[in-house]
Amino acid sequence: MIICLTFLTLGIFLALSNNIKFLTRSVSDDQVIVFFLSETSSMETVAAIQKEMEDSRLFSRIRLVNREEALAAFKTKFPDLESVLQNLNRNPFPSSLEATFSRDSLNTAAGRDLVERMRTREGISDIQYNREWIERMRTFDRLIRAVGFFLGGILIFASFFIISNVIKLNVLARKNEIAILRLVGATNWFIRIPFVMEGVFLGLLGGVLAVFLLWLVTALFPLYLGSSPGVIGELIQFRFLSVSQILALLVSGSLIGFLGSFSSLSKFLKI
Amino acid sequence: MIELYHIWKKYQGNDWALSDVSFFINPGEFTFITGPSGSGKSTLLKILYRELLPTEGQIVIDQRNILKIPDNKLYELRRSMGIVFQDFRLLFHKSVFENVAVALRILGMTGKDIRTRVFNALRMVSLQKKMWELPSRLSYGEQQRVAIARAIVNNPKIILADEPTGNLDIKLAFEIMSLFQEINEKGTTVIICTHDRELIRYFGHSILFLFKGRVLRKEQL
Repeated sequence: MIICLTFLTLGIFLALSNNIKFLTRSVSDDQVIVFFLSETSSMETVAAIQKEMEDSRLFSRIRLVNREEALAAFKTKFPDLESVLQNLNRNPFPSSLEATFSRDSLNTAAGRDLVERMRTREGISDIQYNREWIERMRTFDRLIRAVGFFLGGILIFASFFIISNVIKLNVLARKNEIAILRLVGATNWFIRIPFVMEGVFLGLLGGVLAVFLLWLVTALFPLYLGSSPGVIGELIQFRFLSVSQILALLVSGSLIGFLGSFSSLSKFLKI
Repeated sequence: MIELYHIWKKYQGNDWALSDVSFFINPGEFTFITGPSGSGKSTLLKILYRELLPTEGQIVIDQRNILKIPDNKLYELRRSMGIVFQDFRLLFHKSVFENVAVALRILGMTGKDIRTRVFNALRMVSLQKKMWELPSRLSYGEQQRVAIARAIVNNPKIILADEPTGNLDIKLAFEIMSLFQEINEKGTTVIICTHDRELIRYFGHSILFLFKGRVLRKEQL
């Protein structure tokens, strides 16, 4: 049970981390920075801004989005809000330059300098860039993982001793049998193997139960919450563990079982 | 060849259980160790299979100082011996068959080899009809015979038996002793601790008399 709870805790933190990673990646995969152009900026100014951006070689893609395109994009993304736009009687969206940072220039000083320079440049009214938010998400992810591994580490330590003691009790109950086997000429490994197998089985069973419970949580949690839209939905929608993470949990369970049983036997093999 | 040199043994807080015991047993010899209760017979036997370590002295079996064998290699010594313990030391949750078979399983034997040899060993002690019983359902005498079957099943070079006929009636005791004699005639060294003078008189070979932990005399009949 304790092994199951240990790995369930680890698994929950891993799943949370997976979620945050996924969310961060979905936002940061398109490292798009949007330079909104002021309504008064001339074609020459826009061309100059675009050229400056191209010359910086920081971007893999630069695209000019005019007001009509921005309006159309909004209507496609949010069809429910079309009536609001009709009430406005005018297109509220400014033209913009959408630039995608190339992978190498992401989070570089040059990139940050350019963004800061552009903030005060003539012809640009605003800049939308979610780098800080992504950084925060990453820090949060690191924190979640650290807490997960810290708690998991403590629990792993505890389950090691618990398995070790469970096996020790078992060994004590079969102390006479072990002594007899030793006296008739059994090797230590002949005696150890059944106990070690039992430890590995207990550990593996704990791991399997934890993975199953975690799967149950990830499957049932959305049903309990109902449909939550947008980013909140992304945050609270549990994603299950990857195959390698599941394997890591199962192998860790077995390993703890192995070490716990192995260490508890040693002193009984000196007859 | 079993050689004991100046063996002393003291249990904590007690008098000397063995005092300066020295003797030799030739390969294929049939030896009785006898003496009154508390004379050190069982202690001596336990030292021979290294359940106990002597306080002082040296023991050489087949030119190997057994006191220098590390714990994790003791199985080599014990596999060369068949031991009949005074308290039988049976696995009470396993059948008679399994109790005897364990001496073969530890050697890595499996399947038909085990079945044949266990059956033969149980037949020698007249227990073949009870091989699927649990030891707890057997009489003391039958349990003792299971212990004997386990000791002889892997054809050891040495048999050590601590009061192997202690719980048997005189007829069965003679049968068991005849069995040990038969095994001895095939070249196995047999060492038996007993205080049964009748048996010693009848089967007497070489006899080691112990008294208060000392060798009183060794006789060759």
